[in-house]
Amino acid sequence: MNRLSLVARVVVLATAVAVVVGIVVASSLIAILSLRHAEERESQTQEVTTATLRVENAAVNLESALHGYTLTGNQLFVDLFNQAKNGAPNSFKRLESLLGDDPAQLKRARQARSFLDTYISDYAGPLIVIAGIDPQTARGQVSASEDRRYSRPVRQTLAKILKVEQQRSADRRGHAESVARNAIIVGSVGIVLCVGIVLLFGAWVARGVAAPVRRTSAAAARVAAGDFDVRVEQSGAGEVGGLVAAFNSMTRSLAHGREALLEQNALLRDSEEHKRDLITMVSHEIRTPLASVIGFTSLLLERDFPRDEERRYLEIIDQQARRLGGIAGDFLDVQLLEGRGLTLDLAPFDLVELTREQADLFFAHSSHSLDLDLPNTPVVVNGDRDRIAQVIGNLLSNAIKYSPPSAEVHVSLHAENGGVELAVADEGIGIPDDDKDRVFEKFYRVPDAAAGIGGTGLGLSVAREIVASHGGKIDLESEQSRGSVFRVRLPV
Amino acid sequence: MTMKRPRILVVDDEPPLRELVVVTLGEAFLCDEVGDGDTALERLNENTYDLVMLDVMMPGTSGTDVLRKMRENDGLRDVPVVVMSAWQSPQDVARALEAGADRFLAKPFRIDELGSMVRGLVGRSE
Repeated sequence: MNRLSLVARVVVLATAVAVVVGIVVASSLIAILSLRHAEERESQTQEVTTATLRVENAAVNLESALHGYTLTGNQLFVDLFNQAKNGAPNSFKRLESLLGDDPAQLKRARQARSFLDTYISDYAGPLIVIAGIDPQTARGQVSASEDRRYSRPVRQTLAKILKVEQQRSADRRGHAESVARNAIIVGSVGIVLCVGIVLLFGAWVARGVAAPVRRTSAAAARVAAGDFDVRVEQSGAGEVGGLVAAFNSMTRSLAHGREALLEQNALLRDSEEHKRDLITMVSHEIRTPLASVIGFTSLLLERDFPRDEERRYLEIIDQQARRLGGIAGDFLDVQLLEGRGLTLDLAPFDLVELTREQADLFFAHSSHSLDLDLPNTPVVVNGDRDRIAQVIGNLLSNAIKYSPPSAEVHVSLHAENGGVELAVADEGIGIPDDDKDRVFEKFYRVPDAAAGIGGTGLGLSVAREIVASHGGKIDLESEQSRGSVFRVRLPV
Repeated sequence: MTMKRPRILVVDDEPPLRELVVVTLGEAFLCDEVGDGDTALERLNENTYDLVMLDVMMPGTSGTDVLRKMRENDGLRDVPVVVMSAWQSPQDVARALEAGADRFLAKPFRIDELGSMVRGLVGRSE
């Protein structure tokens, strides 16, 4: 029932009401027709009765005239007799024409006619003649019993015609009444049925349409207030059920949409925060060397210093300006890596020599001690010397930056099958397990390490890209507060 | 001219910056340099200083921690402190002043600004 559409339901209801109304109207029509037929029959019966009585009247007149003439001999009665005798056939004709469609009655009418003819020819006619000649004899011939013998059949037959006609009329009336009664019953039942169907339809509309629509509208109000978890119980017929289902699917997709928006919002917020942190970090990273560059430049411009001091300050300015250049270079490298990728200037070079060079550079002004373990013979690698120098420099500066002053840094290089491995080990703060993969992400800095130690979080991500573009690999081993070992493997 | 030179402790993990401060202040001041917070606290307990130039972001004990410990210590409570930092958002400055700094010097700074700030603080304390 619930799957039937609204339109189908209305069609079914209208059909049912139409059928009931049709039955009521048809039964009323039948009753009316039947009553009209009964009325017609009634009027015919009356006419038949009139005609029958006229015939009977003629018979009575014949008899009376006969009796009058025989008793009085008055000629007036003969005229009366002849009048009645001549009028009789017309009366019969009328009666017979009325009974034309009823063979049994017609037969009776003809029988009556022949009985009357017999009465006139065999009895009354001769007696009139006799009375004209010999009234005495005629009087003796007229007797009650003879009279009755000839006239009774006529009366009886006519009486029978009347009786049958009246019976027929009564039957017809009775039938018409019963049809009318039935029509009233059918009509009443039909009206009750129609009312019942309409009431049922009303109840169904209330249950199958109004209730789900009301629930849906209440839910819509909650959705409007921002509650997207609302679901309407799946109910209601056809289109209404469809409306409920569509509403539920709408709220579901609204909820999904909102979730997606919130997620996107959170991502945007994160990226916005990240950007802000990055800007702060970068400005700090730049200000520190910039402070030395500006400060020493101002000193040199405003004051006179001995030659050697002047040279020392210029060296500091040079060193700090290079540091600034390095930071800018890291950013350029990252942009380069994100864009077209790295272009390498490949040429064979001695990795032992390069490692020694970088170690000298980084440990010359450091309080850390260096333990250098290099092969005695050159290890020739085909690669971009400046880029590999950048990688080694990054690992060395990290080792110095993240370990206490005067701690030892071990740098070793040895050949292994098909390649060479460079290891830089420190006794520094180490890297927590959770951060081991992330330290190679650009801009990522281990939270504790970031506190108090400068850096852009770019060095290792650039180093990894450089090593990877040489077909090599960089990995790390670390224990928190014990130190870290970074290993770079390059093909020879 | 037997007047005693004011003694200043310069705390910064960046050697070039320590040197910059020391050279800028010049012969008129007696400067000691340290590169981390713990050493700074040791020196403060060993000697008497007229002023501390304190960096904030240092590995280990930060400048803010050093400052708080100084302000909790009866002997060090009144020593003037100039906080120097490359972190100079309003929150950073407020944090330094709340911890007990007398002045905030944003890096990079002008050398005459550093000089006048130090002379003002040392002169006042005397």
